[in-house]
Amino acid sequence: MPREYLFVFAQAHDDFRVPELRSVAELHGFPLAIPDDFDPSRPFGVLTLKQEEHARLLARRCILIKAVYEFYARGVTYEALHTQNEAARARWEGYIPDTSFKFAVNGYNHSISKARQREVIESFSYMDYRGKIDLVNPEVIMGCFEEYRDVSGTTRRKNEGAGDFREVFFGRLLEEGGARSLIKKFDVKKREYFGNTSMEAEISLLMANQTLASPGKLVYDPFIGTGSMAYTTAHFGALVFGSDIDGRQMRGKEHQPGIVRAATQYGVRQRILDLCTFDVTQNPWRCGGLFDAIITDPPYGVRAGAKRLGRKKERTGTPSGPPQPRPDDRPYVPPTRPYELSALATDLVALARHLLKPGGRLVFFLPTVTDEYSALDVDVLLCDGMVLVANSLQDFGAWGRRLITIRKDTDREYPPPKFDARPAVLGVVPGPGASEAQEATHVPAHRDFREKYFQGFKKGSDPVKPEAE
Amino acid sequence: MVRLITHNLLACHAKGCTANNFPLQLTDVKLALRDAEFNPDFLRGFLPRIEWPALVQAARQIGDESLPLEQPEMLDDEFLKALHHVLLEIHVEEGAMTCPNCKHVYPISNGIPNMLLAEHEIG
Repeated sequence: MPREYLFVFAQAHDDFRVPELRSVAELHGFPLAIPDDFDPSRPFGVLTLKQEEHARLLARRCILIKAVYEFYARGVTYEALHTQNEAARARWEGYIPDTSFKFAVNGYNHSISKARQREVIESFSYMDYRGKIDLVNPEVIMGCFEEYRDVSGTTRRKNEGAGDFREVFFGRLLEEGGARSLIKKFDVKKREYFGNTSMEAEISLLMANQTLASPGKLVYDPFIGTGSMAYTTAHFGALVFGSDIDGRQMRGKEHQPGIVRAATQYGVRQRILDLCTFDVTQNPWRCGGLFDAIITDPPYGVRAGAKRLGRKKERTGTPSGPPQPRPDDRPYVPPTRPYELSALATDLVALARHLLKPGGRLVFFLPTVTDEYSALDVDVLLCDGMVLVANSLQDFGAWGRRLITIRKDTDREYPPPKFDARPAVLGVVPGPGASEAQEATHVPAHRDFREKYFQGFKKGSDPVKPEAE
Repeated sequence: MVRLITHNLLACHAKGCTANNFPLQLTDVKLALRDAEFNPDFLRGFLPRIEWPALVQAARQIGDESLPLEQPEMLDDEFLKALHHVLLEIHVEEGAMTCPNCKHVYPISNGIPNMLLAEHEIG
């Protein structure tokens, strides 16, 4: 039976909230309607779900959910709230006779004094709950939430503005968010092995949710580095392959590879299927259609050099053949050249189309320059059979990065891309709303991202010497 | 690592190496055996992607004869358990994989193979 549920959200990563809800709903196979007026910038939201179990599933898996309540009422004043609550009597009157209970009054952007909390609780006395008040382990917890506007940065007296909230919500606690504690568990600072490119825990978890990771799925990270996304993806049950052009990033300095040590710390060692050192543009995969998802944070060229095999300056004549035997023991290290970001991104989407199973997802971060970004930047990455599912911004001011989720919406087999590294001539299908002419000449904001970053994102200024990271 | 499931998916992609580049021949191997979670649904789903003769050859190359030469019609539990063991529980920790065509040697060290190509081998 469809019911309304009150969601209490974490106030971070607003742009990631709806995509995460949709992904987790899709993972569990239930429909989720997000109303047009749903505001991801607010800490509370009311959603209708067909079954209570769906609300619980969301609470258990979404990193951005703090708690889910059965929704009773809302209002811009307590008068309005109590009127609506009376009308919802059928939902809460079953607990009247002898259910132990507790009332909790919470303020968002405001501290509610104990005195006022008591007043608020008193105002609910018409509910006439006869059971025992149990503050420790009640059978039901009633939650009342006053949402205040943000007044940080202003000076105010204690308890000033009390009662002057934007809206108040009321409901019965169904389930506390079970996934937020994972943020602490995967904290990079406490990890056995990490580097300066390691992705922060909360984002790694959101990325894993975007891949729909679950037991039995095969996921691949082609720029695995120190493995940040592998741990969270494996935590949710998937088996993970990783590759990187730089074996040292996967290995670290100890005898046992760093990624294996960190995976062991998290209890997911056996789910890291294998790690391989290779250049994704010269990859050894025998065939396509292998993976349920590809998850990655490609090198932007800022902290980690984005490179591929080859020479920056082409040598005259053909290469002479196998490398000469070396006088010492050191292994042969092939030359590398820069891998420009917009070429890398387009190649990544085309490679994903080849390597993913039908219905599989590509989840990756695309850095962008705030002043220059347009939706067309993402459209030009797409190719036949690949559709955009989500695009969530993590805003750093002059630049940002967007978590892009793309789904392979075809069961046709496609060959791997040629990795020409000439972005202007890659034959992409125009995205919706883009004219052919625009497609051919559009220069996305993330083109030459590395150079822009070191110029401080100012146009026409002298290149700034990169600060030590 | 390197597990045989991975080995079954790797071919030599050196320039010009387009035939007889799979499977890579395993030599000088040092093995480790580690338990892995048994997931029959995963195995059934993955089976269509496996190159069966290459898998059996690789397993025998490193001393495991538990898999039949022909992929059986019946995917019963006993078969799936044997398949599970060979695909996921045998790790080639040291050794090399060599392309039967161009003879490029991909060394495996600490369970991670180096599959970088040399300058003359890239397009």
